[in-house]
Amino acid sequence: MKTILIVDDDELFRTMLEAMLRKEGYQVLTASNGTEAQARLESISPDLIMTDILMPEGDGIELITALNRQQRGIPIVAMSGGRRSISLEFNLESAALMGVKATLPKPFTRENLRQVLADALQG
Amino acid sequence: MPPCCSTGMPDAPAQDALTQAELDSLAVRYARLLHRAVLDDDPLVVETALAEAAELGREMMRAEIPLEEVSEIHHEALVAFAEAHPQLTLPSVAHRITAPLMEAYMAYSLSFREQLEHRTNAILNARIDQLRRLESIGTLAAGVAHEFNNILGSIIGFSELLTDEVESAPGSQYLQHILQSSFRARDLTARLLTFARDMPEVQEPVDVVPVAAETLELLRATLPVSIRLVLEAAVPQAWIMADASQIQQIVMNLCINAADAIQVRDGRIQVGIEQIGIETPMGNARGEHWTDSPNDAPKTRVRLSVADNGEGMSAETRARIFDPFFTTKAPGKGTGLGLSVIHGLVTSMGGTISLESTPGLGTRFRIDLPALAGTLEPGAQHPATLDENAREAPGPATETHHR
Repeated sequence: MKTILIVDDDELFRTMLEAMLRKEGYQVLTASNGTEAQARLESISPDLIMTDILMPEGDGIELITALNRQQRGIPIVAMSGGRRSISLEFNLESAALMGVKATLPKPFTRENLRQVLADALQG
Repeated sequence: MPPCCSTGMPDAPAQDALTQAELDSLAVRYARLLHRAVLDDDPLVVETALAEAAELGREMMRAEIPLEEVSEIHHEALVAFAEAHPQLTLPSVAHRITAPLMEAYMAYSLSFREQLEHRTNAILNARIDQLRRLESIGTLAAGVAHEFNNILGSIIGFSELLTDEVESAPGSQYLQHILQSSFRARDLTARLLTFARDMPEVQEPVDVVPVAAETLELLRATLPVSIRLVLEAAVPQAWIMADASQIQQIVMNLCINAADAIQVRDGRIQVGIEQIGIETPMGNARGEHWTDSPNDAPKTRVRLSVADNGEGMSAETRARIFDPFFTTKAPGKGTGLGLSVIHGLVTSMGGTISLESTPGLGTRFRIDLPALAGTLEPGAQHPATLDENAREAPGPATETHHR
């Protein structure tokens, strides 16, 4: 059973995604921001990380940067409700440039999620 | 109207132009003070006359009398003076005529400079305000859209999960309605973001027809119901290289201007899309199937037009309509930037913008943009008419307005 770490500051969204992923047959771990995720990642090694980009404490870009530096090789899916915003730091494009496996704009349907997971977990 | 708020340039005639009598009275005042400055031996009187000359110069600037007319006033005053004192020759009084003349001109020039600075500052400040406003609207819209998308993410996700749970239980169809509504909200936030203008300009192949249709749909909700908004596309598709949001901006701006110009009960705004400069084979005027040969491509243009049956424009307004900060709208209602921005956008896309307008009958803006070479699929027939009641011209766009 593959394990996915969800990193999102929106509790309801996290709960929803956790339920959805469990239903799809994944084991799920959660963190409410990038800093917490980094701490958890010291003791766990999920098969995939799904992270929000804009979070108050330790945003997704910081998390992606840290993981890139550690060369853990864990595929990352970046999620965001924002598109290209005026402040370019917090968007999916910059996440894509940083080499995440896939980007998933919010809101998404279960079908969107399945497709992205199939791609991201493939080898 | 204080000088800073007038739309005229400093050397342009004032909007409230002085009457001939007022101009004459300025000349008379000038002639009188010349008389005193030249002929009076009392230094105090001469000094007062010079001060008056300076005041006269400032007044002329305040009244926005153009330089040519100042010269005219000066000339007339000199003539009047010479006629009143035929015994005096110009050389004999030249040294005393120069002083009031210089005073008046210097005061005029200084006032001119002050006014110019004042206006430049006003223009710059207005522009900065405008940019700040746009930026904050963009930031706000992007922020709101971001939050909304997060919330919609939960709603859509939970609805899908619940759909599994309830399956075909009574009421399960309501979940589908929740999902459908959520998708509509998602589309709305996407549009919000497009209009927030927060995206870098991306030139890509764009079909103007659906872009215009979508823009009109957005406008429909904001314009008064008394105004009919009609899209008449003479071709099923009209491809150009552009940033779609800029096309939206153009259509939206022109339609809002059109709506502002409509004071009549049966207002009508007609947005037309057609291809021009193409050979339609076999006389098929609808262009149901055509192919651009590479040689023809540059000649082919997509014409986007926005016509209204509003109040129209005077020749003066027409002449200045694309000037930045020129506006006929009430203070606070318009920045006067819309059309100059559109002009800039159209030019940057390699297009041209022109207009026809008749006071009392309406205005029609015409934007011609280079078309992308391509093939139109047969069968796709328009006009795509947003307003069902206005489906009155099946076939190619028909110009029904008289100008």
